[in-house]
Amino acid sequence: MTLASSASPTGPATAPSVRQPTSQWSQGPAVPVVSVLVALLLGAIFVLISGHNPIQAYAALLFGAFGSPYDITETLVIAVPLTLAGLSVAVAFRTGLFNIGAQGQLFVGALAAGWTGAQFPDLPGVVLLPLTLVSGVLGGAAYGAIAGWLKATRGVNEVITTIMQNYIVVFVMHWLLQDGPMSAPNALGTPASSPIGAGAILPIIIPNSLVPLSRLHAGVLLAVIAVVVFWFLLWRTSLGYELRAVGLGARAAAQAGIDPRRRMIMVMGIAGGFAGLAGMIQVSGLFHRVYDGFSSGFGFDAIAVALLGKNSPIGITLAALLFAAFQRGGTIMQSNAGISSHLIEIVEAIVLFVIAAETIVRAIASRRGTPAEALA
Amino acid sequence: MKRLFALAFITVLVATSCGALGIGGSSIKVGLVTDIGGLNDKSFNALANQGRLDAASQLGVTTSVIESKKQEDYVPNLTTFAQQNYDLVIAVGFLMTNATWTVAKQFPSVKFAIIDGAPANAKGDTENLPNVANLFFKEQEAGYLVGVIAATMAKNKVGKATHNTVCSMGGIPIPPVDRFIAGYQDAVKTVSPSTTILNGYSNDFVDQAKGNAVGVNHIGKGCDILFQVAGGSGLGYIAAAKQAGVYAIGVDADQKDAAPGTVITSALKRVNKAVFDTAKAVKDGKYKDGDNFFSATNDGIGYGSLDPVVPADAKAAADQALADIKSGKIKPKDTVQVKG
Amino acid sequence: MSLEVLIGAGVLATALRLATPIAFAALGGVITERSGVTNIALEGSMIMGAFFGIVAADKTGSLPIAIAVALLAGLGLAALHALASVTFRADQIVSGMALNILALGLTSYLNYELYGTTGTPADLPTVPPLVIPGISALPFVGEVIGKQNALVWVMFVLVVVLQWFLFRTVPGLRLRAVGEHPRAADTVGIDVRRTRYWAVIASGAIAALGGVFLSMAISGSFTDNMTNGRGFIGLAAMIFGRWTPVGALVASLIFGYGDALSVSLQGQSLGDLRFPVQLLSTIPYVFTILAVAGFVGRSRAPAADGLPYESEGH
Repeated sequence: MTLASSASPTGPATAPSVRQPTSQWSQGPAVPVVSVLVALLLGAIFVLISGHNPIQAYAALLFGAFGSPYDITETLVIAVPLTLAGLSVAVAFRTGLFNIGAQGQLFVGALAAGWTGAQFPDLPGVVLLPLTLVSGVLGGAAYGAIAGWLKATRGVNEVITTIMQNYIVVFVMHWLLQDGPMSAPNALGTPASSPIGAGAILPIIIPNSLVPLSRLHAGVLLAVIAVVVFWFLLWRTSLGYELRAVGLGARAAAQAGIDPRRRMIMVMGIAGGFAGLAGMIQVSGLFHRVYDGFSSGFGFDAIAVALLGKNSPIGITLAALLFAAFQRGGTIMQSNAGISSHLIEIVEAIVLFVIAAETIVRAIASRRGTPAEALA
Repeated sequence: MKRLFALAFITVLVATSCGALGIGGSSIKVGLVTDIGGLNDKSFNALANQGRLDAASQLGVTTSVIESKKQEDYVPNLTTFAQQNYDLVIAVGFLMTNATWTVAKQFPSVKFAIIDGAPANAKGDTENLPNVANLFFKEQEAGYLVGVIAATMAKNKVGKATHNTVCSMGGIPIPPVDRFIAGYQDAVKTVSPSTTILNGYSNDFVDQAKGNAVGVNHIGKGCDILFQVAGGSGLGYIAAAKQAGVYAIGVDADQKDAAPGTVITSALKRVNKAVFDTAKAVKDGKYKDGDNFFSATNDGIGYGSLDPVVPADAKAAADQALADIKSGKIKPKDTVQVKG
Repeated sequence: MSLEVLIGAGVLATALRLATPIAFAALGGVITERSGVTNIALEGSMIMGAFFGIVAADKTGSLPIAIAVALLAGLGLAALHALASVTFRADQIVSGMALNILALGLTSYLNYELYGTTGTPADLPTVPPLVIPGISALPFVGEVIGKQNALVWVMFVLVVVLQWFLFRTVPGLRLRAVGEHPRAADTVGIDVRRTRYWAVIASGAIAALGGVFLSMAISGSFTDNMTNGRGFIGLAAMIFGRWTPVGALVASLIFGYGDALSVSLQGQSLGDLRFPVQLLSTIPYVFTILAVAGFVGRSRAPAADGLPYESEGH
């Protein structure tokens, strides 16, 4: 039994020698769970060495993330864009493409949504919200498609393009919002765009009478729908079948299906669309305008989320929740247990690393034969 | 039921962590929420943190800090402290104006303070609240003082400052940064109109190499006194001055130790004092909501330690300028003239 | 706007200086990917080198020891990656990303613990510039390369050495074989795992030199996250340079030039049009995309790149 690895980002540009991660969730969640526990143990040692109480720390982490309904809503608020960005990376991975550009595509989607929402502030919600949503998705999709197009026509490795695109959009956003066409002078000089119309705002879905202070907006529903769309696209359409086959190295599928160049553009466009939706949700659900430099870091974490989740819809959702729990719980770790935010990052990294190296955990967990046989 | 249990647990946690901080229950609790630069930024967040630590040691208040990692964190971070019944919650940075407005409205019995901002409502308009203190600084005054020093040295060709050219570098062209530069340029134009002024931006508050590149560029154009307003990136700007053997001016905190012999002074923005004073005000029951200005008149700004190379007349001119600003005779401009 | 702003000696000198850390990362990338392992933790090795070099310089006052410690730090991180990728056959991307987060968090954490609010001390031993008497006297060339830091020259030498090693020596051939056809290499007796270990560890050391350049040659201090993504730009340069040391250098220079332009064009205007300072910063990135798109033909990575090697009975 060979253990497949994920596609190398910097490796072969097209399908043949790229192999797909198998959906290891089908083999049961025992090993990933054990991995997380092992990692938390290692992290606890680290916390101890630095002079803090690991029990207090982890209790803060756990209760910060899930302790009360309010905490749960906060964790979900973080999980939503993470999930979408994870889907963005995963859909590309499935075809053997590496989308490092989820962050940039998120920004473009946010800018597009922010512009649309502010441009027609008086339209009723039933028109403005879908309009804003579509512009966010299309914005991200277009940005992603550029990378796909460059690869299809000029052979530019999408890793290069998307890394560069991420940086480019950050600076363009600086210009647009600081003193460019989208900047909305507000009394305090905070670089931001005009507020979107009331119709473009994603409503809070849990009324404050039930959970006070809840910020959980309808974006969580959109995220769920997106996960279903992801699943449907890849496992219930012929296009999805072809994409997965291509990703697994099936030459025949590659040649019998649609023109590979069109496929690349399409896939990167779809990937960009997911990320663009994430950006739109942040604008419509949380900020109600575009702030310069918001939401940074989702795109990067999304890569880990996609890989941890083995590019599968449930896996990605769970991985996103794990990351979100860490971020939300980490805040409480710092405020209540006085643990430096960097220490929290170190613990996160250990968790990630051990999960990556889970093969050894697998060997220990299987306890069957020598480790070499288990690994073979 | 589960919620009660969770709340009880959290209360125990808070109590034990209060114990860990070693303070009794009768003192007030002050929470600091930093901006995304983190506590290591050597200027803004670090100064605010210093004020917090000073308040803890000198006033006996219980304090805690949360570092924000992204803008989505502002509201939940502020809420965390408010929910735990902190007496004073300080938001460090003008990016938190809307977040503070949101949370302050939800917790009217908790006192808030924003450094460099006033609460902004959903429309983006300033809306002062009775439980928010707006801590503003007149950065242009600090910029003016160091500008006087720079201009005096430049026009008299003191030491290595032989080209009669001064320059500045901002991180990003945002108002708090630009106010420093505006005051600087205003002073130079007033004291020494013949001096050439250059300006640039690194477009980054972190990347030293970028700041260094801008510095090298300015030095190549003849600049001898480099004023950095760019946080971590600005340290690279100072490094360029050091390598070329010319002079630099620090910002926010006293940065003479960043490069002794190169840094001739710093434009001080006493964020730590603002934090300390506000904590003290809450403790003494003298909290003042709305605009609170920190400027020359209340020692909120100033110029930092002078390197020995700074001649007595430059110091005298700066002291005179400080007196004039205090008396209202000089009102440093707050808009940048040489954009770069 | 004069020509000086575009191709003056100052701009070119800055281009070289800004290209150097990227080139170090790219060179490290070339070595590991040629052996078949994807190491995206070069950014992590860079920041480890940058930080621990400064710490060692502070504690010992000795430049050679500081550089040695920096190399060890970067190499150590890479060794973890080798362990995960080669022995445990873990997902190389996740392992690399985890190590990056670890390095960033660790250096920031220790930076705060050791140097808290005061910052790293000034007047640490730094890597000196290398002034070559003959060259620095030359009119144009002298200004561009005559006064560069010693590490810039180390980078040049490394490019030559690695290019020669990879393509003109037997060990280099073996390394490339391991990257292209590990099974065939194994059959003729090359130890695939050991070769890959060495390659990954070497890449960590090379990347650490890039970090040392940032903290101990350019600035003389350490600030959190001072690498700011250069490890990843280095990977892009490696791909652009088609996995060869010389190509990596050229790609890094192109990026460095764009970066230098974004600085020198500040304040300039084309007629009435002033370049917004924020958009100038996009130059190196747009440049790189255009440059890659402009080259004819696709780039091909080593065939077994990124795939764990499973052998019989190992």
